Amino acid sequence: MEDVIQAIASGILVGALYALIAYGLGLIMGIMKFLNVAHGSLLILGGYVSYWIFTLWGINPYLSIPLVIIATFLAGLILYKLTLSPLLKLPDIEMRVANSLLITFGVIYVLDNAMALIWTPNSRSIMASYSGEAINIFGVKLSLTGLCGLGIAILVAVALYFILSKTYLGKHVRAATQDAEAASLCGVNVQRTYLISCGIAVALAGVAGVIVVSSYSITPGGGLSWLLIGIVVMVLAGEGNINAILPAGIILGLVESASIFVVGAPYRQAVALVIFIIVLMFRPQGLFTKKRTDVYYNS
Amino acid sequence: MLEISNIDVCYGDLQALWDVSLTVGGGEIVTLVGSNGAGKSTIMKAISGLLKPKTGSISFEGICVNKLPAHRIAELGISMVPEGRRLFPQMSVLENLEVGASAREAKKARHNTISWIYELFPILRARARQRAVTLSGGEQQMLAIGRALMSQPRLLLIDEMSLGLAPLLVQEISQVIKDINKSRKLTIFLVEQDVNMALSMADRGYIIEHGRIQSEGAARAFLCNERIKEAYLGISPVEKAG
Repeated sequence: MEDVIQAIASGILVGALYALIAYGLGLIMGIMKFLNVAHGSLLILGGYVSYWIFTLWGINPYLSIPLVIIATFLAGLILYKLTLSPLLKLPDIEMRVANSLLITFGVIYVLDNAMALIWTPNSRSIMASYSGEAINIFGVKLSLTGLCGLGIAILVAVALYFILSKTYLGKHVRAATQDAEAASLCGVNVQRTYLISCGIAVALAGVAGVIVVSSYSITPGGGLSWLLIGIVVMVLAGEGNINAILPAGIILGLVESASIFVVGAPYRQAVALVIFIIVLMFRPQGLFTKKRTDVYYNS
Repeated sequence: MLEISNIDVCYGDLQALWDVSLTVGGGEIVTLVGSNGAGKSTIMKAISGLLKPKTGSISFEGICVNKLPAHRIAELGISMVPEGRRLFPQMSVLENLEVGASAREAKKARHNTISWIYELFPILRARARQRAVTLSGGEQQMLAIGRALMSQPRLLLIDEMSLGLAPLLVQEISQVIKDINKSRKLTIFLVEQDVNMALSMADRGYIIEHGRIQSEGAARAFLCNERIKEAYLGISPVEKAG
């Protein structure tokens, strides 16, 4: 019984990290209908920035988050300006998705090679004093880094809810998502709204990178496996359903934890992919969306 | 206030407007009437910045707006109620109105403007928290007009206001438009298929056919014109020939 509770707790913690990875991906897909497959590499970039700050100045990775946000936000602006914004002229969504996939695939190569040049291809991780530490609650061990990840994932969920429902930027984002032309008639600068959204999405990848580098090791080419997790969570939540990303991530984490008992730890990622395929076949709109819709956020 | 000079507008290779010129003076209600596909909505889109003229110029209060993006034109004081309303369906009535006040000055005055919109269309106050998609057609049209007014425009473009609405409702909404024109001196440029209603509301009118302005004159004169009555208010020339 203790093992089951431990597995559930671990599933929730790892699921929160999965959600954190998917937020940025879901934002870009929901708002602009771009599939940014360079999301994993941008996550790794965030991890390296945090690693550098830790190595050079000894700053705790969690305290480096504001600097990582600034660096990756700027990377997001550059990504949008150089590669994604020309795709907005494409007439339909399918073309946007396909072309953004191809272009950001190219971005992976540029980023991964640049990171290998700067930080070498060797794997890096942050070994802080609390790494590997765990809190024991009623016999259940909860890792400190996992708990931090959960806290940050909840914070991101609340912040996104607040921004999207209460601020003018959020209303502009939602309006542009539902009808970009009508939004521009209302005085919304749609291009600027997209630019900021892309910056926020990549900054969220950077934040996820900080959590990843605190718990796992990173390499320049290691973004692809994290991207895959992000895509699975995004599909489970439903395209553009930002509210559902945290529960979808936790569900994936729980299923992975449970699968350790059934098929063993080496196959847990395969189980995630099986779920991904089943959901795509039988509920392509995701587990939390009633029907397929262009709406990306329900207030 | 608005001066359109010799514009040609194309959709890709397809030309929709040829050498169109028209003017709208401050405080006027001007209507543009014509049959389906004549180019009425294309003119509206060109004024609001959704389409760029190939040649010619569009100036608003002396500023050339040809090359400006739509959001900049909205900031200058031109607001549009688009055909089909184009509301943000999953946002509430209040949020739709708030997005209408996206220009800097309008944002500051949004609370007062919302109160004014609620006075014009009291049903919107009752529906404030409801999503736009759940409103009836008439309520949606009121919201579309309210959203356009939120930017405190000096020129209001209305594209096919009566489309899909019951005659009584159209009458009610057009009365509100006339009242705003009188009380706030708001200039209105109206595109309509309901020619009778449009000409009854307007001071002046233009008739467009096949992308070209055919005639211009006082709205009352158009209402008495036999040819216009025949073409737009009753029997079409095709039917007559048959």
